[in-house]
Amino acid sequence: MSTAAPPAANPLREGLRLARVPQPATIVLFGGSGDLARRKLLPALYNLALQRLLPASFAVVGAARRASSDDEFRKELHDAVAEFSRTKPINEEVWGAFAQNIRFVATPDDAGYESLRAMLDRVDAEVGTNGNRLFYLATPPQAYIPIVRAIGAHRLRGPGWSRVVVEKPFGHDLPSAMELTSVVHEVFREDEVFRIDHYLGKETVQNILVLRFANGIFEPIWNRQYVDHVQITVAESLGVEERADYYEHAGAMRDIVQNHVLQLMALVGMEPPAAFDDRSVRDEKVKVLRALRPIAEREVAARTVRGQYAAGFIEGKAVPGYHDEPGVSPDSKTETFVALRCFIDNWRWEGIPFFIRTGKRLPKRTTEIAIRFRVAPHRIFNKESSEGLDANELVLRIQPDEGISLTFGAKVPVQGFRIRTVNMDFVYGASFMLDAPDAYETLILDALRGDATLFTRRDEVEQQWAFVDPILAAWAKDVPALSPYPAGSWGPAEADTLIERDGRTWRRP
Amino acid sequence: MASALTPVVDEKVWGAEVPTISSLERELARLRRIAGAHAKEQGHTVARAAVLNLVVYADRDGHARRAATSTSRLSDRHPSRLIVVYGDRVREGVDVAIQLHCHVPRPDDGSHIYYEQVLARVRGDADDRIASVVIPLLVPDLPVFLWWTGTPPEDARLFDDLIALADRLIVDSADFARPDRTLGIMANLARTNHDRRFGITDLNWTRLTPWRELVAAFFDVDAWRPCLDTIVGVRVGFGVDADGRDIHPSQALLLVGWLASRLGWRTIDSLAPSEAGGLLFRMARADGAPITVRIRPRFERGIEPGDTSGFRLQAKHGDDLYEFVLKRAPDPRHVTATVLVNGATRSLRIVPLPAPGIDELLREELSIVGSDRVFEDALQALVALA
Repeated sequence: MSTAAPPAANPLREGLRLARVPQPATIVLFGGSGDLARRKLLPALYNLALQRLLPASFAVVGAARRASSDDEFRKELHDAVAEFSRTKPINEEVWGAFAQNIRFVATPDDAGYESLRAMLDRVDAEVGTNGNRLFYLATPPQAYIPIVRAIGAHRLRGPGWSRVVVEKPFGHDLPSAMELTSVVHEVFREDEVFRIDHYLGKETVQNILVLRFANGIFEPIWNRQYVDHVQITVAESLGVEERADYYEHAGAMRDIVQNHVLQLMALVGMEPPAAFDDRSVRDEKVKVLRALRPIAEREVAARTVRGQYAAGFIEGKAVPGYHDEPGVSPDSKTETFVALRCFIDNWRWEGIPFFIRTGKRLPKRTTEIAIRFRVAPHRIFNKESSEGLDANELVLRIQPDEGISLTFGAKVPVQGFRIRTVNMDFVYGASFMLDAPDAYETLILDALRGDATLFTRRDEVEQQWAFVDPILAAWAKDVPALSPYPAGSWGPAEADTLIERDGRTWRRP
Repeated sequence: MASALTPVVDEKVWGAEVPTISSLERELARLRRIAGAHAKEQGHTVARAAVLNLVVYADRDGHARRAATSTSRLSDRHPSRLIVVYGDRVREGVDVAIQLHCHVPRPDDGSHIYYEQVLARVRGDADDRIASVVIPLLVPDLPVFLWWTGTPPEDARLFDDLIALADRLIVDSADFARPDRTLGIMANLARTNHDRRFGITDLNWTRLTPWRELVAAFFDVDAWRPCLDTIVGVRVGFGVDADGRDIHPSQALLLVGWLASRLGWRTIDSLAPSEAGGLLFRMARADGAPITVRIRPRFERGIEPGDTSGFRLQAKHGDDLYEFVLKRAPDPRHVTATVLVNGATRSLRIVPLPAPGIDELLREELSIVGSDRVFEDALQALVALA
């Protein structure tokens, strides 16, 4: 990762093996025992402790509206970690020592925030956390603004550094995202704001940057001269599960496209950054997002498809349609599938379509980016012999089975001449068979170290919403109509039409 | 007589003998095809992957076999071509002969990656020609790691030839016969390696990483960092077996060397043995004040001979005595890190302490290609003590 703010010199920290442990700090968890904290954050912190990646002095202060004692809170978190940690069983020795520095403060009102401040000061003195504070907003989004205001009003920032981590969704459209940013900026500078998109914490997403910018052979052909088109697929086989409450308001566009898909697109489409640090990388990502050709309301019908799953089969099991899922309104117009035809209007990508599709209840869970190259300019082999030959394709598989494959033509070893497409496959798991760290572990550690490279900056979020908003506005007027698709298919027929109009077809991932 | 010329090689471990290097490559290709076909019958495909060449020099059967088993465990993360050069300790009166064996072991963990293993069994004094066997066996363009299983020699043709091929040298100072002397040889090697052509690593240094991490972490706390300038004493304990015969203080010495090099300590005394096989000497802080260093062997169950068993650093700050203590507690697989001020506990945490096997240590080292300057500095700091 890039170099964060240089720590006040500890001469023993020099050298390449000891660099990743952050400075002493307190993490203040708002929504301290909510679902996210229990499933992701505490297990991630505990696993960091197991790997000795947490600083020697480290405290967790939970804050929530309801009352609880330190011990009840610890017990709750202990059970959550025991259930959700990626390493089991829980190491009680390590947990015991870690839990000593867990505190809880109820913050239902101003008095609560005052006692939170007193608690943070006390923790600094007792634990030696140097006044460094990481505020983590793990609450429902409607609580973000009041909490940030309270952090400001009650002067919760410490004498050391202060940072705030904001979970997704960051706003539900451009005005709300801008409002949230401006409230956050009343208390925190932009470089202290860490907007999480957990996709960026995934090893393989970071590998897109390594593949493109650590290798000399890909960049020269990574442009309109050689690329025919790009396909990005984010497919889930799951349905809405128990998230109907949230999903009904979000839909696939807000849930997946606005953040994850546009991030993938930015990473694939960006220019080489001058350095691997938060500023250079994010500057380049924003440039791509700005160059993204807007889909105006009148074009929405031609360039977008929205679908909703109906009953069908997943892995041989009958599954209900979206309307029949618990918590979903029977006449819901929420999209569970999105397909888009996008263009990046710059020198590199002019005229090259980027096809995007994402959906729930697709046949399998897979995330991949496929770069389809142009066919060879002049064909010297006759048609019969090259029947089985496709254009070259470079596929970056993000999950599962992370890897890269490249297809090319090869002669079938028989007399005479037959050419067939073969696959050269690189599987990360085969070269580095190692449990990749959980995305939250990577991201929490980066936030503690002050490295924002993998977080979304204000202008990025705003560009994302600016792209998505007009599409959502048209959809709200039911243009184009919602297309149903059976669960277990690759989406509605309209999605095929969208790409076939261009003379191309979807890959079968 | 024939048996003296053709040593018995366990073909179950090392595969069949092949006459030449080109026939060896053909044999490996054939074995890969068989492995591939076999896998296909069971409905999966296997991948040939190689990310590095690992050259091992061993002069004991046990070391050669250990290299083979470690590499098979490494194949999941560092699939490699393993080239074991197994020579004799006694060479007088033995005719020179080099026998090649190769094998494509099937990973026993069910992963579908295979790697390649070559044995060059060398008889007699063949030091001058071993490199000519190793060079054509290296997979092109991949880094070469040389794992020297014994004590690295000074002025030896074979060692120099092999190190010339290597990007990284791996040794294990836990095995060194006279660490006070051998660490000096290592330091010389690092010093003469001016252009940093190859990196040097010591698995014992890798074992120290968690200890160094824990020591460094104390001083991330602003309030305690000033203590680094006012240290008055350091104590390091290291494990010995019950009868206390095998004394291997290299790891403990490296820990002191590391502190000394990072904090700018100078030598006052040379290493002097103290009671029970330990070492006691003084060093000088950057401001000239003396520091007492005590390295003590301790027998404790669950601690390998030579491994660090505990650490205590004392600093005077004003009238207060600060102590930074690492203890293997509540059991040898955990460390309790405590800070005491005038004997009262100010901070306590417990972290797990891994006891990595040799393959896990290698795994860690193989992921680093460059040289480790901090390690080289620690070695230099020790040279003056010897």
